[in-house]
Amino acid sequence: MKKIRLGAGSAYWGDLLEPAVELADKGEVDYLCFDHLSELTLAVLQRQKAKDPNEGYIKDIEPWLEATLPQARKQGFKIVTNAGGANPAGAARKVIEVAERLGIGDLKIAVVTGDDIFPDLDEMRSIGIKFPNLDTGEEDIDRIRQDIVAANAYVGGDYIARGLAAGAEVVVCGRVSDTALFIGPMMHEFGWTYDPTDKDKIGAAITIGHTVECAALATGAVSNLWRQSKDPWRPGYPIAEVSEDATAVISKVEGSGGLLNEWTVKEQLVYEIGDPNNYYMPDGIADFTTVKVEEIAPERVKLSNMSGKGLPDKLKVCIGYRDGWEGEGSLLFSWPDAYEKARRGERIIRERLKLLGVDPIELHFDYIGVNALHGPVAPEPGEMNEVGLRVAARTRTKEDADTVKRESTHLWTLGGIGTGYLSPAQPRPSVSLWPTLVSRDQVQMKLTMVEMGGARK
Amino acid sequence: MQVKDIAYARSGDKGDVVNVGVLALDDAAYGRLLRALTPDRIKRHFGEWVHGKVEVFPMPNINGFNILLHNALGGGATKTLRYDVTGKAFSTALLRMDLPE
Repeated sequence: MKKIRLGAGSAYWGDLLEPAVELADKGEVDYLCFDHLSELTLAVLQRQKAKDPNEGYIKDIEPWLEATLPQARKQGFKIVTNAGGANPAGAARKVIEVAERLGIGDLKIAVVTGDDIFPDLDEMRSIGIKFPNLDTGEEDIDRIRQDIVAANAYVGGDYIARGLAAGAEVVVCGRVSDTALFIGPMMHEFGWTYDPTDKDKIGAAITIGHTVECAALATGAVSNLWRQSKDPWRPGYPIAEVSEDATAVISKVEGSGGLLNEWTVKEQLVYEIGDPNNYYMPDGIADFTTVKVEEIAPERVKLSNMSGKGLPDKLKVCIGYRDGWEGEGSLLFSWPDAYEKARRGERIIRERLKLLGVDPIELHFDYIGVNALHGPVAPEPGEMNEVGLRVAARTRTKEDADTVKRESTHLWTLGGIGTGYLSPAQPRPSVSLWPTLVSRDQVQMKLTMVEMGGARK
Repeated sequence: MQVKDIAYARSGDKGDVVNVGVLALDDAAYGRLLRALTPDRIKRHFGEWVHGKVEVFPMPNINGFNILLHNALGGGATKTLRYDVTGKAFSTALLRMDLPE
């Protein structure tokens, strides 16, 4: 039976590089897939692109390709990445530069675009598309129109598959879903389609993609079993060995660090999901309540009996818009009476801001060492060696955010005795997200093949 | 006894929704958690941090549960003022929950 091996090379912008190189060198992969995007990333990248039209992609693509492309060429595996972000064409130009430096003169690149509907918003709005907010129920985007910084549809793997069919060795995408990076190669290799007869296979592809897309998070990172994770400073990233019968075995490079067993795979299966009976992705709806997870050998976990429910009518669109500024500062109070001094610090900040006439949209205090992470779930502490106080505010203006930052530093002197402070972060723009749905036909996907030595459509 | 004694948990975010996946350590633990992890008890456990509804989806195929906490992240990762912007510590906070006899 035909099998393909998909390696998960990264899970976020700024992830570790060496595990990807390990997969390229020793993973015997057919595809190396890189996810770099989160819900916030596109807003950041659009801002970069607005300042410089050559920017707006994930810069990691350069060192990552530099380190893995020679092996891809030697072994013949393909690379699929969403590092294109807000500027896939710009990222593809960077890939060509890297190839030239490596002495490669004939690389074929597929560029997948169409997810970015930011430039089309006004036109779409003018023909009556309202973009209602899924969370708040607000009917249209008119109130936030001037503050929108990004609008991207989450798109599927079909255009990745088309690029691979056209002979691409590197596929550069923007906001494809994280799972699509893996689904595209499966569609290409096994001929799976969006036809209803393939719905369970696509359901399996989504489940498999979801299991490995967060890289280290399937191999002992963010794990209840953290004590058992071997050499956590050099984790092995997961490989999905997918069979044509829509089952898969999750593994990692032999001798690599981290941990892979039934539990770490289950931890990832339940990670960042909604209703497990209906896991919506642009490629289909997967049902996570049928999959059988089975440890068949050390560091080999089999997924079988996966299922799906067909293609959703609509695509999710994530709109990011400017929504004020954020300013913050952090202090550390010492024994004796550390917690009492920290609470008094909160009072001092509140009074200082009142005195200065600064009225934040939202003002928040974290008591580090007491309840910053567990909030109301945390019990009252006893006597403490030290307590951190973090003040964070969302304000209407940058000046107000800067005032909050500055006022926090005054607790160094006003906050009692024995107090240290961390150099605070600079005020930064706060971005809110506006999730909405659009019809599939409102998103026009496009595949552009770029060959070194000349471009063609 | 606490959830910690019979289960693992991992949490994450999607917008202003926090999800907490819970994995029972064995069949008996799964049965016990089916009774313990009700939306009402979970909502009480998290108090003022969860403003919206709580949903619990059993996943008998893996002896697991997925819990959804709506309006629970101070507006979502991109704008929340909390230290834990992506809600990673809701997992360990849930493990603190007491189990009824």
